[in-house]
Amino acid sequence: MIVANTLFTRVVRNSPYLLIALLVVPVLGGLLGVLLPAFGWFPALGAHEFGLFGFVQLFQTPGIERMVLLSFGTSLVSTLLAFIITILILASYFNSPWLKRIQRLLGPILVIPHAAAAIAIGFLITPSGFLSRLVSPWLTGWDTPPDWLLPHDPYGLSIIFGLTLKELPFLLLIALGVLAQPEIGKTLRAQHKVASSLGYCPMTGFFKVILPSLYGYMRLPLLAVLAYSSASVEIPLILGPNTPPTLAVAIMQWFSDVDLSLRIKASSGAILQIVITLSLLGSWWLLELLVKKCSAAFLINGEREHGGMLIKRLTDMITVAMLTIIGLALVAMVLWSFAGFWSYPDILPQQLVSLHWTSALLQMQTPLFNTLVIAISTTLIAIALTLLVLEAEQQNTKTISAISGFIIYLPLLIPSIAFLFGIVWLFEQVNSQHAYVNVVFSHLLFVLPYVFLSLANSYRRLDPRFSSVAASLGVPPSKIFWQLKLPLLISPILIASALGLAISFSQYLPTLLSGAGRINTITTEAVTLANGASRRTSAVYALMQMLLPALFFILAWAVPKFFFRKRG
Amino acid sequence: MKSTLTQKIPSLNISHLQLKQQGTSLLSLNEEVKGGEVLTIMGPSGSGKSTLLNWLVGMLPSDFTATGELYLNGQDITNTASHLRHIGLLYQDPLLFPHLTVAGNIAFAMPKGDKQTRQDEISEALNQVGLAGMEKRCPQQLSGGQQARVALLRVLLSKPKAILLDEPFSKLDSQLRQETRQLVFEQIQRYSLPAVMVTHDQSDALAAQGKVITLDTVSLNEVAS
Repeated sequence: MIVANTLFTRVVRNSPYLLIALLVVPVLGGLLGVLLPAFGWFPALGAHEFGLFGFVQLFQTPGIERMVLLSFGTSLVSTLLAFIITILILASYFNSPWLKRIQRLLGPILVIPHAAAAIAIGFLITPSGFLSRLVSPWLTGWDTPPDWLLPHDPYGLSIIFGLTLKELPFLLLIALGVLAQPEIGKTLRAQHKVASSLGYCPMTGFFKVILPSLYGYMRLPLLAVLAYSSASVEIPLILGPNTPPTLAVAIMQWFSDVDLSLRIKASSGAILQIVITLSLLGSWWLLELLVKKCSAAFLINGEREHGGMLIKRLTDMITVAMLTIIGLALVAMVLWSFAGFWSYPDILPQQLVSLHWTSALLQMQTPLFNTLVIAISTTLIAIALTLLVLEAEQQNTKTISAISGFIIYLPLLIPSIAFLFGIVWLFEQVNSQHAYVNVVFSHLLFVLPYVFLSLANSYRRLDPRFSSVAASLGVPPSKIFWQLKLPLLISPILIASALGLAISFSQYLPTLLSGAGRINTITTEAVTLANGASRRTSAVYALMQMLLPALFFILAWAVPKFFFRKRG
Repeated sequence: MKSTLTQKIPSLNISHLQLKQQGTSLLSLNEEVKGGEVLTIMGPSGSGKSTLLNWLVGMLPSDFTATGELYLNGQDITNTASHLRHIGLLYQDPLLFPHLTVAGNIAFAMPKGDKQTRQDEISEALNQVGLAGMEKRCPQQLSGGQQARVALLRVLLSKPKAILLDEPFSKLDSQLRQETRQLVFEQIQRYSLPAVMVTHDQSDALAAQGKVITLDTVSLNEVAS
């Protein structure tokens, strides 16, 4: 496509380079900033010689094997569980109106930040939590909270529980997104119909026909979930054990320690974290090979029915239990935020007060302001850059290369704990003293991939004939972009903005590290309060964490309906 | 009565069918198709052809309602689950499963049994339709005509009691269309299967040499020949 050489087209043409640079430089620079201290080079401490001292120190840490095992085990088991439940739900309700209903119920869970979800689950499973109150004393005979170790259990069961509940809606919505794509969805449904006409019961037909094809589309998001959960901090910090914690939490504590010498050990730990994540991805790949090999004969053995009804009943129970748990966790959180005196084992508080909300709202003015300013700045940059890159694709009449596509998702695949500390080191090297700018920059690394993922499909599907018609009428490219494409894409742009804001709201580690502890947001406060004394204030902060993204998603949904409704 | 009369002869009997969409009558049909015969349904888009096929396979979408009965070889299967009806489906797209080989696609459809016997049966069937030695190929490596033949074998080797053809030749070019059409109709006669074919193409209807019903968009059907 021949385009005029104007300032706009030049900016558009160069935007992909800017995007790639914005992602590659900090991630690779961050990795380098961790790699050097990990191998002993840390000039600030006078360490100028390379060596394995950091690793020796790391492996001498008491409980290091348990940390590694916890990180590895909790992420593998939770991802596996979330995947299995997702598949069971899809198989049981495929072609049923219930699938849409479950999607509607689970969809909003996606916008709940990990920290808020962990706090909500904590309220449910603590000894004096909602779950034990519901069954006491009438069923259990408990007049005082039971002596159980949940949350913070040494086996990481609470972490697995939290991660599974949080990952499940994501995987389910990814799968439903694939099935909603006109070509793929139509073919898969028709193939399911063929299997049915060949005598396969719907459940077996799903496992033998749909799953092998669908899995290919779910693979990358699954690996991203696995990588994320192996190095996540929020859920293990709130629900996990302390002695020892998961490796990611331990690394964060070492990096944040006032004793700077621990930085070398922390950097070595970050390298170990990458190794764990890579091992997990490798294990998943081996698991795939094993399943593929074992299922080859199963797929074509001619067996039409494999206990479909039993699996369906089991899935019904799991689905109901899961939705009930999520519902109860939310109810518990709302109750705690209004609870006055609430003795055990009463199901409801003796009195409801608004005191916690009024005092928390007064305290949270600065965090709220910070949260909004950082999220809005980050999202604006991400949206602008994404739109320019997608416009560049259309001007070049080809999509960005596979390598560039991979780079966009790089920050989601590499454990953030492994490069964020390096980024802090980079900020120190360039003497960046502006905490706000640093935080916005680090949030951008996580907001950009999601905004790009959300907008790319709509932008690429926009009928190119609109632009051709406008160009034939003499309209310049900049005007086509501003006055034709953007108004046509207002709905997806607003949804992508809401998603960008939600991602920014939920960032804990990037805010904590890039802001050097000077920038407090709703999320950093919520995590700090989660393990503190006041369950009530913690509930208010967690609810605010949920309400903020929900508010912006409602706005993104309602604004186009209000302003762009059909006339006449 | 009806069931005892037709018990021995392969047949698909559509008895007093009334299909409605949100209360509005879409089509009425009362036909019997004997084994080896092809009943051709023609008509413009929206006349209810696909809805009829969906009813026959037991997958009528929720915004449609139907009254009437369906008998297969004398047995009432009106309320039988779709996967237990033994009615094979052949679409315009071959819809071969991409994760299985050619042999895998056919084995998928065959009833359970001895592995070697099934493999021999597959090889023989492939040989009969000119696809000898293609067992291990992926469906993507086959031409359109070859894929159509594998799809046909897949349906036939599942041992259906009736077969439905949904515009089965519409995506094939003229030469291939004639060859595939001939093969399909030969096999329908060979296996003595009652068949219902939905098509837009007059030449398909003529080649089927059976009864042709043309549906209009209003409601009732009209017998063309």
